[in-house]
Amino acid sequence: MASAASAKIKGRIVTVVLAGVLFAFVAGLLPATADAADRLVIYSGRKEKAIKPVVDAFTKQTGIQVDLKVGKTSGLANEIRMEKARPRGDLYISTESGIVEILTKEGLLDPYQSAATKTVPEDFRSAAGTWTGISGRARIILYNKNLVPEKDVPRSIFELTNPKWKGRLAIAGTRERTTLAWATALVAIKGETFARDYLKGLHANDLKILTDNTEVWQGVGRGEFAIGLTNSPNYYLARQANLPVDVVYPDQESGGFGTPVNPNAVAVIKGTANPESARKFIDFLLSPDGQRILVTQDYEIPLIAGVNSSEVPPLQSIKRTAVTAQRLADLEEATLKLLTSLNPNW
Amino acid sequence: MTQAGPLTLTPSSSLAPASGWLAQIGTFVLLAVVGLLVLPPLLYLAAAALKAGELGAVTIGSLVGLAAMTLSLATLATIWAMLLALPLAWLVIRTDLPFRNLCRWLAVIPLAIPSYIGAMSYIALLGPVGSVNTWLSALIGAPQQWVNIYGFWGGVFVLGLFTYPYIFLLVSAALEATNPSIEETARSLGESPLGVFRRVTLPMLRPSILAGGLLAFLYALSDFGSPSLLRVQVFTTAIYHQLNTRFDQAAAALLSFVLVLITIAVLAGQQMLLHRRSYVTITGTARLARPLHLGRWRWPAALLVGAVLGLSVFIPLGVLLAQTGSVGHFLEVVREQGDYIKNSLLLAGLAATLAVILGLLIAFTARHTPPRTGTLLSGTIQIGYAIPGTVLGLSLILLYNTYVPWLYGTVGVLVVAYLIRFLTQSVQGVDAAIAGINPHLEEAARSLAASPWRVLRRILAPLVRPTLFAVWALVFISAMKELDATLLLRPAGFDTLPVRVYIHTVEAEYARAAVMALLLIAFTALPWMVVTRLREKKLV
Repeated sequence: MASAASAKIKGRIVTVVLAGVLFAFVAGLLPATADAADRLVIYSGRKEKAIKPVVDAFTKQTGIQVDLKVGKTSGLANEIRMEKARPRGDLYISTESGIVEILTKEGLLDPYQSAATKTVPEDFRSAAGTWTGISGRARIILYNKNLVPEKDVPRSIFELTNPKWKGRLAIAGTRERTTLAWATALVAIKGETFARDYLKGLHANDLKILTDNTEVWQGVGRGEFAIGLTNSPNYYLARQANLPVDVVYPDQESGGFGTPVNPNAVAVIKGTANPESARKFIDFLLSPDGQRILVTQDYEIPLIAGVNSSEVPPLQSIKRTAVTAQRLADLEEATLKLLTSLNPNW
Repeated sequence: MTQAGPLTLTPSSSLAPASGWLAQIGTFVLLAVVGLLVLPPLLYLAAAALKAGELGAVTIGSLVGLAAMTLSLATLATIWAMLLALPLAWLVIRTDLPFRNLCRWLAVIPLAIPSYIGAMSYIALLGPVGSVNTWLSALIGAPQQWVNIYGFWGGVFVLGLFTYPYIFLLVSAALEATNPSIEETARSLGESPLGVFRRVTLPMLRPSILAGGLLAFLYALSDFGSPSLLRVQVFTTAIYHQLNTRFDQAAAALLSFVLVLITIAVLAGQQMLLHRRSYVTITGTARLARPLHLGRWRWPAALLVGAVLGLSVFIPLGVLLAQTGSVGHFLEVVREQGDYIKNSLLLAGLAATLAVILGLLIAFTARHTPPRTGTLLSGTIQIGYAIPGTVLGLSLILLYNTYVPWLYGTVGVLVVAYLIRFLTQSVQGVDAAIAGINPHLEEAARSLAASPWRVLRRILAPLVRPTLFAVWALVFISAMKELDATLLLRPAGFDTLPVRVYIHTVEAEYARAAVMALLLIAFTALPWMVVTRLREKKLV
């Protein structure tokens, strides 16, 4: 009986301790719900590693506190759409221009032109003045040096339909919006018929459609594929991981297709409670200080003249496909239909 | 332990409806709470699906293909999970298997490993350029692809590995709770051990196998992480495509709605299967069966159990450990993560506690209302489990930001999302425990004029208390792992451990992601360890 009684007391003690833990939980919760009013809320599709140092420098310079929500560019865009009635974010940073064009069309962004905006080339900013490009990524051919001898390295994406590449090619599906932008640029410049034939040629070569760009650079780096179509920073990531890769900026000959360069963009969300702070942040992002931190963090191509990154080729040295973000946005749906009609994995 | 009471096989039926206006108001309030929780997202889905009009980019053909793929993935994964769980449960509970207590504890760990992390581990190991292919090619001296985890069968393999504990938990609990004297009688009448298992044990386990299988099946149906990583096209990945590539929320809602309909059909099927027969064998006391001596089968059995635990626990944890890099790096990352650990524990703890309280009230109410109300109540809650996390997240943004703005933007909305998704685990668990209690106990108390509240507090709660702790741990585990809805609903600046794993993975910082994943698994498993220890010491 004595042991039963002591077990009961122990049971009581356990209950009290558990109740105490629960109370601590709830008490710990309260601070997380308060004081959100005058902090700047940034929704960023850009990597935390790339944007956090800029945010920290901004806070240090201006004293403005920032809450950063890092996510997928597209997921955050859906969030902004859903929050339309009562916006919660102040700024949106996207990794691609098509999305900010869609949000502009839906009236979810506020126009803002920083003093530095006009130094950004015209094709990297919104015609409506809603968004500004902050850095860029070029489409590249990434290849595995052990699998592709120097003499065989393709200089054009159009060489990739050659049967000698059969079963050796990879690209990310349209879940990576830069892939969609690339295919749309193809349709915009070369026309739908040409684009369809070219893509069919790639499929005849068993082009492998992967989930995202990370799979592409890792697959090429590890030798699962000889060649991948992806974005320029991924070349540096693969090299950082000591993988045997090299890069080609394709179709650079005069009169050639060039290669699309996609901007990362920043925009003020319509209905923001902190328009002043939001604008200050954009100014800072486009300032030499902000740009330097931004482009050195993640091998991005600077879009503002005078800002240079030591490792990445400057924008002027790349022949880029001449197509505006608005035109891409207009053709996007048709391109997606074309892609999925050729292969559901796109 | 005390001697078992007389065995009773009475059909369990719901009791007479609770009388008194207080009880009726209670029922009404509960119905309202559940309704307000689960129905708005469902109605939103239905409304948005209707807007899809000419089906958008979704064709009937692709719908049928998706349904076939999703259902076969979930079905085969569930069968695989059963094949893993049943022998394990029987060996651990009913035989003199070596290290049986340790095995019993380890067999639950795969639940603490999010399936997306499990999938990533297996890709690193069995991918086309994974370790196994590299080693074998080096061994042979010629590069060749021996295994490839990507695709349908890889999806089945991984999903089964990380969902079998649902079945294991319920079946081992049932094995422990069922009165062993029936099996002993059968054995003494000359039935072989296998015959006893097949003709006596298995039929008694049917409800728990079905309930566990259902949890595994629904998990597979609504999982996004592992099919997406393993390149299997199912409903959740198609929904993701519509939402994030095409920005077509209507088409995404339509696909989600079809997925919800499929879930409703599955749940209805389970109800029909379960209601054919039901047993009551718990009479307030139970005793453990004498363990069966395995004899010369002892070590082969241990090998089998070792293989299952190896695939589902040691291999994924080993791969993660190998990815973390140096010990110094490990500790450095751990030191930085205090806030995220606190956030995760806080949220999951709160959600689990609320889920247990609500679950107890709902399961109790469901038994004391007309059967139809009860079915409606628990059915509604189960549907919440089927709404894919991303879609649930988006619908909650719209609904709560518009109508309950003071809650949206706080962790409160995350708790709501977790309740919608995981309340069913609590209701099912508590309900199964109450169903096993002989209704005579309750009737006796009621005949002595005890109020329903008193019956709940003095009779049912103590008897189901072990279950309550287990259920708390189960919901806690699910909430700790939740990623899809959390990514969307978290207040800016409030990250949880899975969110950190996601961010580091996306940013290709794998060593960091692996440390975070190990932290997540450790803290997810923690309450389970505590509950098991306390139970062993008879403190709860």
